[in-house]
Amino acid sequence: MWISRTNKFSLSLCITPELVLRQLKRSTGKLNLNYCDNNITIHFIFSMFIMNEKNAFVLNITFLVIITVCYGYNYTDNIDDFFRNKHTNNWAVLVDTSRFWFNYRHVSNVLSIYRSVKRLGIPDSQIILMIADDMSCNPRNPRPATVFNNANQHINVYGDDVEVDYRGYEVTVENFVRLLTGRLPPGTPRSKQLLTDEGSNILVYLTGHGGDGFLKFQDSEEITSQEMADALEQMWQKQRYHELFFMIDTCQAASMYEKFYSPNILAVASSLVGEDSLSHHVDPAIGVYIIDRYTYYALEFLENVDPFSKKTIGEFLTVCPKRVCISTVGIRKDLFKRNPHDVPVTDFFGSVRPVKLLSSTSTDTNISISTTKKVISLNKSHYKYVPALISFKK
Amino acid sequence: MQTTAFVILVLNSVSLINCGSDSFTEELFIKPLYTDHIYTHFHFSTIWDTDLQTEQFKHTHLFPRALGEIIKRHNVQELHLSLTAGLWRYETWGYPITSAPPGAELWVWFKQDTENVDKNWKELANSLSGLICASLNFIDTSNSISPEYSFRPNGAVADQTLNSSYLRYSALPREIVCTENLTPWKKLLPCESKKGLASLLNSGYIYNTRYHSLSIHFRPICRDLECDVTSIEVNQYVDLVYDYLILGVRNWSIRRLFGQGILGSCPLAKSSTVYVDMSTNSSIPFDLSPEPDEFVHSIRGGYTTKFAKYRVTNETLSISVSHLENSKVLINSPPVLHANQYLTGYGQELGGIVTKLYNNHWNNLDVVVLQNIPWYVPIYLHTLKIQANGETIKPISIRYIPGKLRKRPYYVEIALRLPPRSTTSISADFEHVFLKWTEYPPDASHGFYISSSVISAMLPLTKNITGLPQGASTIADSFNRSSGSGYFVQVHTETMVVTLPTPDFSMPYNVICLACTVVALAFGPLHNITTKRLILKPESNERVVDRLKQRLFLLVNKFKLGRAERAETE
Repeated sequence: MWISRTNKFSLSLCITPELVLRQLKRSTGKLNLNYCDNNITIHFIFSMFIMNEKNAFVLNITFLVIITVCYGYNYTDNIDDFFRNKHTNNWAVLVDTSRFWFNYRHVSNVLSIYRSVKRLGIPDSQIILMIADDMSCNPRNPRPATVFNNANQHINVYGDDVEVDYRGYEVTVENFVRLLTGRLPPGTPRSKQLLTDEGSNILVYLTGHGGDGFLKFQDSEEITSQEMADALEQMWQKQRYHELFFMIDTCQAASMYEKFYSPNILAVASSLVGEDSLSHHVDPAIGVYIIDRYTYYALEFLENVDPFSKKTIGEFLTVCPKRVCISTVGIRKDLFKRNPHDVPVTDFFGSVRPVKLLSSTSTDTNISISTTKKVISLNKSHYKYVPALISFKK
Repeated sequence: MQTTAFVILVLNSVSLINCGSDSFTEELFIKPLYTDHIYTHFHFSTIWDTDLQTEQFKHTHLFPRALGEIIKRHNVQELHLSLTAGLWRYETWGYPITSAPPGAELWVWFKQDTENVDKNWKELANSLSGLICASLNFIDTSNSISPEYSFRPNGAVADQTLNSSYLRYSALPREIVCTENLTPWKKLLPCESKKGLASLLNSGYIYNTRYHSLSIHFRPICRDLECDVTSIEVNQYVDLVYDYLILGVRNWSIRRLFGQGILGSCPLAKSSTVYVDMSTNSSIPFDLSPEPDEFVHSIRGGYTTKFAKYRVTNETLSISVSHLENSKVLINSPPVLHANQYLTGYGQELGGIVTKLYNNHWNNLDVVVLQNIPWYVPIYLHTLKIQANGETIKPISIRYIPGKLRKRPYYVEIALRLPPRSTTSISADFEHVFLKWTEYPPDASHGFYISSSVISAMLPLTKNITGLPQGASTIADSFNRSSGSGYFVQVHTETMVVTLPTPDFSMPYNVICLACTVVALAFGPLHNITTKRLILKPESNERVVDRLKQRLFLLVNKFKLGRAERAETE
């Protein structure tokens, strides 16, 4: 009897907005409901909503029964599945905040990550790349249109196929926060928008010069850790991300994630508060430091990852031990619900691409391209070229 | 099932018919210059026989749809965009096929039924900035003008009475150009850079040049001679000037210039051709290998030019040149018109802009000089002086709209008749403006840019001219096309950097620090003097030895106490 009843209820409850579910999850804090299928959650809500004297008892009983059954059944399998199923797309926001030639290494940092995420499958349309200065075609660069991450010039991280979305003076704190929170002025092109939803995993990578509690933008303004945390909270409230991986390579980087209070954020910083992040090595040919230590080792790790790799974020978090990094890598995982050792690197650096396999294919090669001329347009008027310059001869 | 398939087929064919006939042509034009440089021009032209007024750009074949949508949405009649690094040296290199100033330049004619041109203009610039990854979103009404003479529509128009309020022109002289702009630019081509001549555009090679310029030109053109209907045309150009010194040798080849040979034509192209200008062959003889398919002679404006023509097929092609003699120094007779621009004055208060125009022709020459001067460099019209060979001359006409702080730039357009064989200078004084604290860019001491002046003229001769006539879409169209009214050229001068008075940005901080120190230093003694009373302290009569004893006693006590505490905690 209760089966038919619940079926009916679940049908009527399919329209329950995602928001309610989410709100509920939040209010309950730890998701003790989600150990089972989504159905259970739905039933539970229903019982909360329509509870009246008579059927409340029956319903609650049903709920308890189902909960216990599921709890016993597939607790371990479904906890991972639940989260993974929610993740539908990947985005990356990669920001270099430093201007001037001697900050070449920061551009090289951000391009290293750009190269990796692009190689692992995030398309250019889902990567927002912000670069505060032009290093590749800088007159001081002896090899134009290249940015190398290594003095041996093995990898040109700038590459032949690069799209920079915000560049030069456009890289400001205002634009960055507007981008994250989606409060952009009308007319902003698609490539400059972060069009994420509640299924998006976002990689946020920042590099530049920072201090305790702030990151400088272009040597003229700064974003504080509180502003950063508030922007992320706003993203969470607007359902703009599912999970967020926050990476920052700057001095005293850990201070930037200390104020975070929104859920599902995993943060990693190149140095703890009170420590400097150091650069890796100098290229004598161009006379500047060309990459920072943390990103250098991160790239080294990512170069060995392919889209089907089993490597986990947990491994990624240990890429730069203190003996090579000199600074201590800071990690914050209390806001993140999963165990980083169970999360594949490709959950943030790669891209989910929904692929459907079709069993039947059509091979129609007889498509002919018709070149019939179009019917002449209706507004028939006489057109003419005007002379490029008025004649002044009079 | 069959009926639905039939319907789909019919719909498909309808859409194909709707698509109209379109064609794509790719050309590469190579011209060794008289100096130690070589000019290469990539010319991609897509023509689509459709009507601009009615076309919805829902479905396109060869025409770049991304651009089409922007054109439709913003009611564009004609669009010209260029991104350039380096300065074209008119005096020694002659005239390029399209002239472009350093940085970005955008000029657009909107359709006559556009309601809010400024809004469309701002949004169009925004869209284009997303399309080709440039900071064109900095274009707005505060740096745009509507020139009356200089930028007349290049395409076919129905209405002969031009209203320049539908035209917007702006330039961003500081805009950089790099692979990030080339990548999206290439994606507008039918074959992208996978096949055809565009596959030669390898960023590692083309940015190693003296001058490089990317451009997109959209306009409606006449479909036939009667010109009752129009087609739309989008031309994409890349102009490069290589330096033999950077290349290392004078004997250039396609492979040396671009890193690879031509690996076949774009399969979607109607024709794929390489032209080598042979005009320097008479003075610096060279051999071409392989032999060209044919030589084309073009007689234009009294000058005959010989071109070697290669048709690109599916086979690889690498043209190489070997010079027969050792290098000679040749001096090209300067072209009819060229110009310079520079700043005068010193100090932080007043300055001046001087534009020099050189007319090397034996006759008068009518030119139009356009200046778009940013609002932070207010010029004084009363100081405008036009002197030809030292004598003041009267311009034919002056158009001037004064700028407004933060709202509108200074627009000056002067129509002039240059005397034969003369140097004319146009000068005006300006004032340096104090900007607001937040208006300074992060690198304020770098300076502020003034965009280049644009000088337009109809030249009577085609000496050094490679530009296309107005009706032509491709280089092949321009052969043997003489024009009675003259040959239109535009000359862009240098951009200028002016140093505005820049405050010391750390000054407020310093002031706060200093002021606080002074206050603290002053406050302490003042507070003491005003609140405390001075009382004489009686002198103690103890001896020195006693005092020392007392101290020692205290110290020992303290030590004992400490040990006791430690014992407790353990």
